[in-house]
Amino acid sequence: MAALLIVLGIVVIVVVACIVIYNSLITLRNRYKNAYSQIDVQLKRRYDLIPNLVETAKGYLKHERETLEAVIKARNQASAANQKAAASPGEPSAMQGVIGAEAALTGALGRFFALAEQYPDLKANQTMSQLMEELSSTENKVSFARQAYNDAVMAYNISREKFPNLLIAGPFGFQEAVLFEISAPEEREAVKVSF
Amino acid sequence: MDFFERQEAAKRKTTVLTLYFLLALFFIICGVYLAIVVAWSLSVEKMANPWNPTFFLYVAAGVLTVILIGSLYKVIVLSKGGEKVAEMLGATPVDPNTKDPDERKLLNVVEEMGIASGIPVPRVYALQNEKGINALAAGLTPDSAVVAVTRGCMERLTRDELQGVVAHEFSHILNGDMRLNIRLMGIINGILVIAMIGRAILRGMSSKKSRSSGKKGGGGLPVLLLGLILVVVGYIGVFFGKLIKSGVSRQREFLADAAAVQFTRNPSGLTGALKKIAERKEGSRILDREAEEASHLFFANGLSKAFFRWLSTHPPIEERIRRIDPLFKVPFFREPTLEPGGEDLPTFMAPRQLTPDQIVSHVGNPQAEDLAFARKIMTDLHPLLSEAAHEPFGARALLYALLLDHDQEVRKKQIKTLESHADPAVMRHTLMLLPVVDVLGQGYRLPLVDLAIPALKSLSPNQYEVFRENVRHLVEADKGISLFEYVIQRILVHHLDPFFGERRPSRVKYHLFDQVQIECRELLSILAWHGNRDASAAHGAFLKGMNELAADKTFSILPQEECHLRLLDSALERLSEASPLLKKNILKSSVQCISADRMIRVQEVELIRAVADSLDCPIPPLSPGGAITP
Repeated sequence: MAALLIVLGIVVIVVVACIVIYNSLITLRNRYKNAYSQIDVQLKRRYDLIPNLVETAKGYLKHERETLEAVIKARNQASAANQKAAASPGEPSAMQGVIGAEAALTGALGRFFALAEQYPDLKANQTMSQLMEELSSTENKVSFARQAYNDAVMAYNISREKFPNLLIAGPFGFQEAVLFEISAPEEREAVKVSF
Repeated sequence: MDFFERQEAAKRKTTVLTLYFLLALFFIICGVYLAIVVAWSLSVEKMANPWNPTFFLYVAAGVLTVILIGSLYKVIVLSKGGEKVAEMLGATPVDPNTKDPDERKLLNVVEEMGIASGIPVPRVYALQNEKGINALAAGLTPDSAVVAVTRGCMERLTRDELQGVVAHEFSHILNGDMRLNIRLMGIINGILVIAMIGRAILRGMSSKKSRSSGKKGGGGLPVLLLGLILVVVGYIGVFFGKLIKSGVSRQREFLADAAAVQFTRNPSGLTGALKKIAERKEGSRILDREAEEASHLFFANGLSKAFFRWLSTHPPIEERIRRIDPLFKVPFFREPTLEPGGEDLPTFMAPRQLTPDQIVSHVGNPQAEDLAFARKIMTDLHPLLSEAAHEPFGARALLYALLLDHDQEVRKKQIKTLESHADPAVMRHTLMLLPVVDVLGQGYRLPLVDLAIPALKSLSPNQYEVFRENVRHLVEADKGISLFEYVIQRILVHHLDPFFGERRPSRVKYHLFDQVQIECRELLSILAWHGNRDASAAHGAFLKGMNELAADKTFSILPQEECHLRLLDSALERLSEASPLLKKNILKSSVQCISADRMIRVQEVELIRAVADSLDCPIPPLSPGGAITP
């Protein structure tokens, strides 16, 4: 009889432990998903600023249509990719999508600013400098939010791979989450917004 | 009953509940035993003597283990904070920067109320998939509280009605109802576990049955019986659980309604919301599976109508509406305006003289004028500051700016220290906000901190570490930091550290003055030296404060050299673990000490508010605090 009770006791402890581990994985997963929404907010701001930027610059850069269109195109693609990622944060294909699209956007913006350097009238325009200021501040916020998201993803991934958590993670479908990393080294420098 | 007495009363209620719980346990054990005996007699053999004490004990042990584990587990999980409860019900955090107009409306309402009550703005969650009109507040303490609102609420209620609902929830927060409710949830979960296990077995059985139809009918019988037994017994448990919950919550719902009306001075807001719930059959229904467990936390009945009236966790809606409408007799009632800020500022806003009693009675007791003042703060606030407060990057810079001392020498040192430790982008942001922060009226600084706290809670743990370090550097940059800046830092740490797991929330340890007399002496000494230049005045102030606490004993003020800010830290730490009634006296004595020079100025009120905040006593902002130049 005593042996039966001991076995029962062990079973109970194991079950409770499983529940605790499962719930902690759920909590960590929710945390990184919520952290992505911070990134989402700042990226959306960025996407909202860019069309204004292009509009302001249009008057001055009359013959540089290609560059301007490239920026708008890259912006639209990034916006779409971000929406996908916001719907399923951390999921590999969605994250790769948004990382790639953001890199492309950064590249297009870089070319735009390089071009704008050559037009002193544009530089002097007040709306332009205001927008640049806001863009720069948004860049900072994006990178800060990205840092928080990456921290949360790391915590989740580590928890997921630890023993004994990995025994629960597998059967219950806890996938590995993907970090929001900048893809190419040259893009690691924040877009230089200096006039 | 004031705030402190309500807190004590809430604690006492828990003892009564434990008794009910034990009764329920007893009945459940008997039920299980009976059921097993019957099942045994029917299926295996007729028992010669149904009463078997040893077997009864085994059954008792088994049932107790299951229930206790279920309860303990839930209590531990829920004590981690209000967020857990909200997430359990499927709620998601509302982004402080949201563009959705319904969510924005909700956030504004909650922010106004947070500032008006003197607590850090609670994080707001949304039950996006629920179309019914309902809301809940959860969390063990006012400053770890969370407010969750259904999508139905946001879409179908006007701003006034939403305000009524949120005010109702806030009164739960300030009355200490939440702590009680969460304990309840934990305890009852244990009882429900049995029913859940039974249901699971039956579900498993029914799916097996459909596959092997009639082939092995005999073999499955004992398991089926077991499942049946457990379900029946479980429902006994649910019955008792509902009884316990409803006994507690119905009365509190009326109280919360009354407090909400007092707070907003707009009964049609709350009745409007209640009427909207009443007019649709599924008015406040919550569809989530977990709703049963948390049913007593909600604003209105989240489940289908209970079979017996007295099993319902909420009083009937018609009754609630009737209690508000005829009850309301305030003579100066004005027609509520639809747009906030459209009303003229009430005349009370002329600076008034406050007595210590008035200040202490305001704790946990926000009034309509506090709400009006909170609205003024929100509309007056420079957009740069409000924007910064709402997202984590800017909130850090905002706090750094608030911690920079007004004294130029100290400030220079602080900026230097910050530059060597903080990210350059944040430094720039801080310096940009500094001119605006500098002209901020004294009475606006603490509300700004309250506003920024939810955004700071979305920092990752690593980011919080860094932030915390920088805050520490700012405070230690020079010993000459002013008391007010120092206390801002304390408030920050007090509210955020437990959230990030760096500190356990305080429990009540001390009930007698003697246990905390050293710390009281330290606190009053520091306050006395702060407000008075010369020794005799400081002595006088100290004695005045001490008199309030222990008129019979004599204490002497600590020498000025010993009164450094570290001492205040340790004193407040310990004092925050005092019982509510003791805290009331400590607060009163602090007010007496500070008001020794007869009139209480704005700066002094803010200092009191800051000290009270460290003691978990929310005081609404009490003064208009001077104009801001935008």
